[in-house]
Amino acid sequence: MKNRLKVLRAERDWSQADLAHRLEVSRQTVNAIETGKYDPSLPLAFRISRVFAQSIEEIFDPGESR
Amino acid sequence: MNDNSLCSSPQRDRRNQRRATAWSLAWALCFVAVMLGIKKEWLSLGMTLAGVGVTSILGVATLLAYRHFLLETDELRRKIEVDALALAFGVGIVGGMSYWLLAVRGAVPPGDFFYIFLAMFLTHGLGVLFGRRRYS
Repeated sequence: MKNRLKVLRAERDWSQADLAHRLEVSRQTVNAIETGKYDPSLPLAFRISRVFAQSIEEIFDPGESR
Repeated sequence: MNDNSLCSSPQRDRRNQRRATAWSLAWALCFVAVMLGIKKEWLSLGMTLAGVGVTSILGVATLLAYRHFLLETDELRRKIEVDALALAFGVGIVGGMSYWLLAVRGAVPPGDFFYIFLAMFLTHGLGVLFGRRRYS
C-alpha cells in the first residue's frame, strides 16, 4: 500500500526515530511502512492519522500497490 | 479496539525478551538435568516425578513470558516472531511425521524427538533473522 509517510515526516523535519517515538513503535516499523514492505494495523494507522492530523485516506492509498 | 500494538518501547522489549530468555534457559537446564538424572539412574521415582513437575512449571513460565513479550512488543516484531513460529511449527509437523515414518521403518531410533525440537528451535531463530532482514 502506497503512503505519504516519508513526505509528511520530512515536512515536519522528523527523523524515523522521532516518528517511531511518537507512534510508540520501533524505527524498523516506521521504515518498513515508509518503504511499503509492511502495512500497519488499523490501530497504528489511526495513531499515524492523529500524529499527522490528517485522515487515513489522505495518508494511505489502498488503490496503488508498492 | 485492542491497542496493545501501540504500547511498545525498545527498553520494554529488551526487558521482556531477557525475561523470556532467562526462563527458557532455566527450562532447558532443568530438562537436561532431569534427563541426565533419569538416564544415569541417579533419581528415584519420586525425584523423577518432582523433576518432571519442575520442568513442566518452568516450561509454562517460559511460554507465559514469551506470550507477554509478544503482547507488548512492536507490531512488526510480533509479525516477524509469529511468522517464525509458524515456520518452526511447520518444520516440526513435517519433520516429526517424516521421523515417525522412518522410526516405523526402523531406520531411526523410536521416540528420540530431540532432533525435531532442535530443528524447530533453529528454524524459529532463522525465521526471526530472515524476517528482520526482510523488513529492514
